[in-house]
Amino acid sequence: MNTERLIESLSADVPRVSRHALAKRVGLGILAGAVVTMLAVVIVLGIRPDLHLAMHGFSFWMKWTYTVSLGAGALYAVSRLARPTPGSLRGLWLLAIPVLVLIGVGIGELAATPSRQWLAMWLGTSWMVCPWLVLSLAIPIFLGLLWSFRKLAPIRLRAAGAAAGLAAGAWAATIYCLHCPESSAIFVLTWYSLGIALAAAAGAWLGPRVLRW
Amino acid sequence: MAASEDQLKTLMLGGLDGDAAAHGALLRALVPLLRSFYRRRLREAEGDVDDLIQETLIAIHTRRATYDRDRPFTAWLYVVARYRLIDHVRRRKSSVALEDVEAGLVADDVEAVAAAQMDLDALLATLSPKQARAILDTQIEGMSVAEAAQGAGIGESDVKISVHRGLKALAARIRGSRP
Repeated sequence: MNTERLIESLSADVPRVSRHALAKRVGLGILAGAVVTMLAVVIVLGIRPDLHLAMHGFSFWMKWTYTVSLGAGALYAVSRLARPTPGSLRGLWLLAIPVLVLIGVGIGELAATPSRQWLAMWLGTSWMVCPWLVLSLAIPIFLGLLWSFRKLAPIRLRAAGAAAGLAAGAWAATIYCLHCPESSAIFVLTWYSLGIALAAAAGAWLGPRVLRW
Repeated sequence: MAASEDQLKTLMLGGLDGDAAAHGALLRALVPLLRSFYRRRLREAEGDVDDLIQETLIAIHTRRATYDRDRPFTAWLYVVARYRLIDHVRRRKSSVALEDVEAGLVADDVEAVAAAQMDLDALLATLSPKQARAILDTQIEGMSVAEAAQGAGIGESDVKISVHRGLKALAARIRGSRP
């Protein structure tokens, strides 16, 4: 095809691009994925029956604060890495804060609990499935972000994939909280984080393969 | 004469605001810039360079939302152009791992590099294509005279004369453009 003809056809369709187009695109992708994950939790796993009670308790909000702040930080990284000129990612060290806070809560919890109950508190009733459920629930959100990336231009594909995986894992964990009855900080710190980290690792592995453009 | 950062950025912003004429003018202005950018790095058939230019124009068009209006346009442009180039090279030689070249893409001073690139392109555009290519090959890409002659399909003495005359013309131009 002749270059001039290509330019004519490209400039025949020039919609306005708002300043926030990139954020909207990322937001839409993650939202679409989150709807699918939400449906999976509601239909397949079921909402925990005591959700309205749990929402008045500390542990539910502790879990949500942890996963939502990881998810927000990961989205910041995604929207940076979605540009060919990502600029500085130095702000990402802030992601350590929710982890450190949760470690603090966990230490307090251990101190207040007799040590013979520690193991039961750490493993809960669902430690074997929790990381895998979080990883599985992250898939629709990751796919939503892949759709977002189709009009974006990441050049650090491994980092962008890892950030997308982290965001997918953290938001999947947020939605999973609606089902999961566990309440201890050390449970969340270990098994939720493991699921989220698996999603981030999968994203880092997939990044160079699926984000090429 | 090559377009400047300011002109290109104005056209880009116009296109982002929905001005189809500005967008078309931008894409047209980018063709010679991309051509000299790719020609210098790919010693291949002209058809390959044309393919790359078209792929890059499409990428610029479809991914224009990733341009940050507060930053220089040419920095964004050349990172996109380099990414397309690396992808192109990688498709031909599947042994080059993308991770290896990623490091090269993320230059800290990408804006300074882009600015220098613009200056160089603008200056070289004032020479004849033969002189510009001879200077690029021998002075910037570090090829020997024999390699440059073979690549361009001309004699070695022709390369030497082109470099000599080209550099002289550039020196005169730089002196002349000073206030």
